[in-house]
Amino acid sequence: MKDFDICIIGSGAGGGPVALTLAEAGYSVVVLEKGPWFSEKDFYKDELACCRRSVYTPNLRDEQHVIEDLEDGRWNATPTSESGWDFWNGNCVGGSSNFMSGFFHRLKPVDFYQLSEFGPIEGANRADWPISYDELAPYYDRVEQVVGVSGKFEPHKNIEPRTADFPYPPTREHAVSGWIDKACDELGYHSLRVPRAILSEPQNTQQGNRRSCEYSGYCGSYGCSSGAKGSSRAALLDRAVSSGHCQVRPHSKVTRLISNAKGKITQVEYIDKNNRKQTLDAGIYVVACQAIETSRLLLHSTGPAFPDGLANNSGQVGKNLLFSAGGSGSGDFNFDDFDAAQLKQLRQLGPFVNRALDDWYTINDKQLAGRPLKGGIVEFLFAHPNPTSRANSLKWDDDKLLWGKPLKRKLESWFTTDRSLRFEVFNDWLPTDNCFVSLDRKIKDRWSTPVAKVRIGYHPHDLKIAAYLADKGEQVLKQLGAVRIDSSVSGSPPANLVAGGCRFGNDPKTSVLDKNCRAHEVENLYITDGSFMPTGGSVPYTWTIYANAFRVADIIKNL
Amino acid sequence: MNRKPRPSETSDTTALFSSWQQQLLSRRRFLLAAAGGSVAAMFPLPSPSATTNNKPAAASDPWPVIAAVQQHLFPAEKDAPGAAEINAPAYLQFVVSDRTLDADEREFILQGTRWLQDITEKKYKTAFIELDYEKREQVLRHIASSSAGENWLSTLLLYIFEALLTDPVYGGNKNQAGWKWLQHTPGFPRPPADKTFQHLLKI
Repeated sequence: MKDFDICIIGSGAGGGPVALTLAEAGYSVVVLEKGPWFSEKDFYKDELACCRRSVYTPNLRDEQHVIEDLEDGRWNATPTSESGWDFWNGNCVGGSSNFMSGFFHRLKPVDFYQLSEFGPIEGANRADWPISYDELAPYYDRVEQVVGVSGKFEPHKNIEPRTADFPYPPTREHAVSGWIDKACDELGYHSLRVPRAILSEPQNTQQGNRRSCEYSGYCGSYGCSSGAKGSSRAALLDRAVSSGHCQVRPHSKVTRLISNAKGKITQVEYIDKNNRKQTLDAGIYVVACQAIETSRLLLHSTGPAFPDGLANNSGQVGKNLLFSAGGSGSGDFNFDDFDAAQLKQLRQLGPFVNRALDDWYTINDKQLAGRPLKGGIVEFLFAHPNPTSRANSLKWDDDKLLWGKPLKRKLESWFTTDRSLRFEVFNDWLPTDNCFVSLDRKIKDRWSTPVAKVRIGYHPHDLKIAAYLADKGEQVLKQLGAVRIDSSVSGSPPANLVAGGCRFGNDPKTSVLDKNCRAHEVENLYITDGSFMPTGGSVPYTWTIYANAFRVADIIKNL
Repeated sequence: MNRKPRPSETSDTTALFSSWQQQLLSRRRFLLAAAGGSVAAMFPLPSPSATTNNKPAAASDPWPVIAAVQQHLFPAEKDAPGAAEINAPAYLQFVVSDRTLDADEREFILQGTRWLQDITEKKYKTAFIELDYEKREQVLRHIASSSAGENWLSTLLLYIFEALLTDPVYGGNKNQAGWKWLQHTPGFPRPPADKTFQHLLKI
């Protein structure tokens, strides 16, 4: 008799759907989560807690990464405890979904066959997915219902195939959303109302019982105090636990998956809050620690059948790691340029912008290339509300430290004379041989386990596409009458938009997982975070991770 | 925020952990490494025997000096609060006494103060708090010309900004003076005293 039917490692967007589906089906489920278990009662709009002290992520001296960056033609490894470049995104029950903005986009059908549609690119490992959009579509629908997605089904040039309207109407929108629509219309662009994983109305159904958004204007990386944000914790795990079939164990850091000579997992080993080593066994093990940590756990879990790491006799674990390519830009609305009524609208806090452009999801521009290219989206948003950080960024005048009255005048000007509108560009981070996870040979975490070493090389093609899209974003800001318009694209990975490393595919030589996200080499191992993705698509990953995890949960349920 | 930028992307202030803080930390770590990992070596003080004629600067109370430096960096004005009005000295005492603060950070703030006192004694034969505005400006510009000194002043400014703009529950931003001055609307709900970050760290 095993301790549990299902053991899930990681409680974020990859773990929650599996826990809920299988607990409600009557399986006994345990979720092991490294971090603490916060609730709505712990989340306040507190910039120190959110953004300035390591409350939701580990201290980098205790747990870190080693980042391999290309410098002067050489790969140079730097521990993040030295650089301060934090690759953690939320280590607590619900994971980083607690701290997402909830800009929810589905992949489009073309994302599932990029290699066939756009052809190979030298230096990139493009691959088609072993499933189609149609196979994932019902699970995108389920996420809308269960996690709660607010939006409106409107005819739109590039809209992905769908049948029903959203279960929740759009969240309240800012006046600037209408200005963006008008500007895009004038430019011949088709602005898109962005669905959000934020409840616009209370969820008081068999799907759950949560309050709707309170529009405090402090969203993004702040935890949600109302429960409206569709985190794995608020939307899925609370319900899974109330089914009576699911246990969530916080402060449980999994160190190894133990496997036997036949290549089957027999036990999971973890360290509890009191630093005691614990083990448990289960029929099926589901790993969802976010892409980098999932690959790290597998690589570290060697066994008699797996000298190079669990499920890694193909050598594919950790390979083809993906981030999101792109960049960002901004422009300022000078308060002096607006009349009193407009100014009142502009200064309003709370409602969301909810606008993006996907006109160039596939780029057909002869000036860029003689054939169609995979493009991406431009997403509009207001700057994140972190006033302390903003103030502190103003203390430098070039290289000279400002203080006294000149500093105070600069603060007054920045805070009280304009408002910035930003945009972010999302395009595919092409999979390459220069972006992967391995184990660092020297640096260990506080449990004496080797930390992940991440090589973060990008393909130059990514920057070409990003620059093309950033130019479109700038055109919209210009049309809006913004000033001080600026944008930049970069090959630096955004650490919070990560996927890949354990590709799914039909060929066990070139992929880690089969089309059901079960390891080719380990019959009782499934991976349900973003690791499965062979190519990333050009939108944030969370909706797709949720949808795929619901799909895999159904497969396990029907075994 | 959607994309979490790299620390070096200084134009982007939307980071979870924003760029300037990364740079500050990373520069500090570089300076510390150059000083053999010792905060004391970053701010060389004379040995006690060399200052037998005077009371060693290192032994005196750092807080009046810190308050005077904060006041100089962030002076009070008729329509704009200064360091005292936002409770910046008490706020920094809270930061330094916070057990979750990195030990290096605490040591860096206090040792830098001793170093400033020592430099002031040498240059003007008197204590920093006795100097007039012009001389305070001179000595602070002087220490800002060294990497360690600039980093120390930059650190004091950082905690002044925290006292200016974080929630009054932490002791700064007295009567929301910082928010009022910069017309900043805080988010809600605001943190109650039993839900500060120190409490969250115990969950």
